[in-house]
Amino acid sequence: MQPSDEGRAVPGAAIAVVAEILYLANLLIAPGFAFALLLLLFLHRRRDVPPLARSHLEQTLSASLWAGLLLILVASLILVLGGMHGAHTWVILILYFTLCHSTLVVFGAYGLAKAMAGQCWRYPLVGRPLARGCREIRWQ
Amino acid sequence: MQYSSQAVAKPYFIAAIGLFVGQILFGLILGLQYVLGDFLFPEIPFNVARMVHTNLLIVWLLFGFMGAAYYLVPEESERELESPGLAIAMFWIFLVAGALTILGYLLVPYAGLAQLTGNDLLPTMGREFLEQPTITKLGIVVVALSFLYNIGMTVLKGRKTVVSLVLLIGLTGLAVFFLFSFYNPDNLVLDKFFWWWVVHLWVEGVWELILGSILAFVLIKTTGVDREVIEKWLYIIIAMTLITGIIGTGHHYYWIGTPEYWQWWGSVFSAMEPIPFFMMTVFAFNMVNKRRREHPNKAAVLWALGTATMAFLGAGVWGFLHTLAPVNYYTHGSQITAAHGHMAFYGAYVMIVLTMISYAMPMLRGRTAANSNKSQVLEMWSFWLMTIAIVFITLFLTAAGILQVFLQRMGENPLPFMVVQEKVALFYWLREIAGLVFLIGLLTYVASFFVGNDEPEAKTAG
Ligand code: HEM
Ligand code: HEM
Ligand SMILES: [Fe+2]
Repeated sequence: MQPSDEGRAVPGAAIAVVAEILYLANLLIAPGFAFALLLLLFLHRRRDVPPLARSHLEQTLSASLWAGLLLILVASLILVLGGMHGAHTWVILILYFTLCHSTLVVFGAYGLAKAMAGQCWRYPLVGRPLARGCREIRWQ
Repeated sequence: MQYSSQAVAKPYFIAAIGLFVGQILFGLILGLQYVLGDFLFPEIPFNVARMVHTNLLIVWLLFGFMGAAYYLVPEESERELESPGLAIAMFWIFLVAGALTILGYLLVPYAGLAQLTGNDLLPTMGREFLEQPTITKLGIVVVALSFLYNIGMTVLKGRKTVVSLVLLIGLTGLAVFFLFSFYNPDNLVLDKFFWWWVVHLWVEGVWELILGSILAFVLIKTTGVDREVIEKWLYIIIAMTLITGIIGTGHHYYWIGTPEYWQWWGSVFSAMEPIPFFMMTVFAFNMVNKRRREHPNKAAVLWALGTATMAFLGAGVWGFLHTLAPVNYYTHGSQITAAHGHMAFYGAYVMIVLTMISYAMPMLRGRTAANSNKSQVLEMWSFWLMTIAIVFITLFLTAAGILQVFLQRMGENPLPFMVVQEKVALFYWLREIAGLVFLIGLLTYVASFFVGNDEPEAKTAG
């Protein structure tokens, strides 16, 4: 574990936090719009920011892309294949969507907590290998 | 343990765990009665078992909160408890009154119990969660007042911290809102309106302050992060709780005969109620990430992080699911409500009590900081078994609820209630199986107190 003193900000922490907030905003209040901002931030700043920020930008972008796939594409597929009028379509669709969406949001909460502590974190399943210069730090 | 009077917490915690086992056994009886309608009839009818299940839940959580306060407050206030003797006396009064009430439910038909306990003098019985005879309710008030006096004096005479003040406000609110259980107007709209002042303003109001302060206390102790940082989080969390939760009561006023504007007020404010729960998740993980030391009690840290996550899922996500008026129009009083009720109560209040027990019990039993590794491993197994079981209970009930709404309340030819119940029976069977796993987890939890006691304390790794 790295001791990270409060007050003394780790380089790149601010952008890391912004990336996580945009990721969450995309899932919670401004779908699409927040993603566009995240994408812009990623494309413009990825190369010239400290490893911590780069890592959070990469993780949240990757997780957002997966989120789009899982929440829009797969969900639409369930609806199309199951048909609007089948009871089972709705059981599966609502359970699937709630589970996927809330898991992605909880990942975002963990990611935000990591960014605020100035640490890198790899999103499980929907993340990417950690950026160079980022040692993975676990909570236990 | 820094103050000897903290020891009064121990019997409270033991009673809490004992009643928890009882609650779950009755949960399993209920679950079986859902699919085998005459199981244990006429000995234990469904309505009686339901009353026992829910009242045991409330009572053991109250035991847990009181134990938590008795442990936490002396340490925060840096002085002994005002009156340990009063705390022990109240423990026995509450336990005996609780046991008599449960026996009353089980042995006397409910109408007879009402007569026996003089309900006509001040009728308060017969409403969900508030089924206790009036005399028991009066007993609860006496216990609550003595408790508040004891805790309040300790806080006021000692060091005042944000944690202990928030806890005190939460506990005072708990007692004050309980008083509305004595208001029982004939007008059904008024009755329901104020019934929610107990039920909703507890779990989505003052209990959240209790939850926040206990979580903050355990995080201060286990992570060593500066108190100032943790207190700032606590301030924002309880502010958001009260801003959203008070007017959020309106999400229960959609269809009970109250004015229509509640559909707007209730929807808008309760839709923001997940915010404080979300902040608790970020808060807990952020503090653990920033920790300045490894605490040897890994199980307590796991419970704390588990609480923060599961409270968000159960209250935040599953609450939001059915909180907007146009959705609630269909889901009101369906199995979706039960799904949410189970995960929210477990994730927020069961888990915070178990967090505190996990943190405090080793010291109450003479350890310096933590149990042996063996005991902790078993405890962490019980964490996962119970938590995964409640997730599955929630998922099965949600599935049953969606089908129920679809078949019974939508479409061209809605089916009658009982026809639909038969159609969703598969999910009730699955819920019962998940309930058995929960019981196994709970027994594992109890066992963790009995193993590894002769082994050395766990040490921090590296
Ligand atoms: C830890 C906190 C919470 C607990 C323990 C809890 C528990 C419960 C319980 C037991 C019920 C059923 C009450 C009854 O018997 O009718 C209920 C109902 C409800 N809860 Fe929660 N809840 C919590 C937080 C929330 C939050 C944050 C929201 C909204 C975001 C919410 C939304 C609702 C709604 C809309 C209902 C009414 C369901 C219906 O119309 O049938 N709850 N809650
Ligand atoms: C073995 C596991 C459990 C089983 C099988 C079970 C079963 C049940 C059943 C069948 C009901 C009645 C629902 C109805 O009236 O339609 C119920 C109600 C309730 N149970 Fe459980 N339960 C279990 C565990 C728990 C736990 C761990 C908690 C709390 C953390 C809990 C809290 C509640 C609450 C709050 C209600 C009232 C719900 C409402 O009004 O919607 N139960 N339970
Ligand atoms: Fe509510």
